[in-house]
Amino acid sequence: MPLIGSLPQPITSAPLVLFVYLVLILLIGSALASVLLRNTLYAVGAFAASMVLVALLYLAIAPFLLVAIQLLVFTTVSAALLVGLLRGTTGLRISSAGRLGPEWIIGAAVSATLFALLALVLGATAWPVRVCCALPLSLGDTLTNDYPVAFAVLAVILASAALGSVLLFAAPTLPSPRGGGSRTVRR
Amino acid sequence: MTAGLNLVLVASAALFAVGAFALVARRSAVVMLLGTQFMFMAGSIAFVAFAQFGIGKIHSTAGASVALFAGAVAVAELAVGLAMAALIYRQHRSFALDADRG
Repeated sequence: MPLIGSLPQPITSAPLVLFVYLVLILLIGSALASVLLRNTLYAVGAFAASMVLVALLYLAIAPFLLVAIQLLVFTTVSAALLVGLLRGTTGLRISSAGRLGPEWIIGAAVSATLFALLALVLGATAWPVRVCCALPLSLGDTLTNDYPVAFAVLAVILASAALGSVLLFAAPTLPSPRGGGSRTVRR
Repeated sequence: MTAGLNLVLVASAALFAVGAFALVARRSAVVMLLGTQFMFMAGSIAFVAFAQFGIGKIHSTAGASVALFAGAVAVAELAVGLAMAALIYRQHRSFALDADRG
């Protein structure tokens, strides 16, 4: 494909730049809080905040349809699923998890290595500086005209996930070998 | 001061690292699922950023499309994963994945 023309410029408007920086900082902070908080309920709350912040980031750099779907569908469905799980299991009680262990050190080392690797690749790569001259399409046109097979596959995946999760929720569980047992075993 | 491709990609890499940390360090099935969601989110943000700043306007809708598909697959994965977490909780009265260890 011929690469003609120039890149879209980075965001230079001061209020928008500040907005993007603020959203990114809050996003990383809420993601860290979600992972580090030892209370599952608070972790789910921080996760929902992260999803909303991603929608705000999309507001600055993506088509509005993606913002709306991220905010109204992905955030709502994810939060509803998580809260539903907690209501059905721990009853939304505030509970604490175990102590800090060696896994935390290993996890921190793995994530720091991954981040360093990605940052190294980012710093060492010269991104393309010239682009094609064609006109932009709308997101709806792209979805329906360019990705009909992906759309169909996605429908199958979502239907399978819905069916699978319902079957798993309704599945009988075996008694625990440690005697914990389960009240959902069916005879 | 500007906000361009590198800034968003660094944030995306940080988000991915946070998700990897959750997968490696935490034992709770719910938090590990949240970690995978963060990794999906990081990928989506990188796609959108490349489409917006890196390759050109013609592809911005393609990047958003990929982000949309990735988000839908992430929600599907979350639904199945949470159902499995519910099963683990019923079995062990805990979300810890190593709850059955002696």
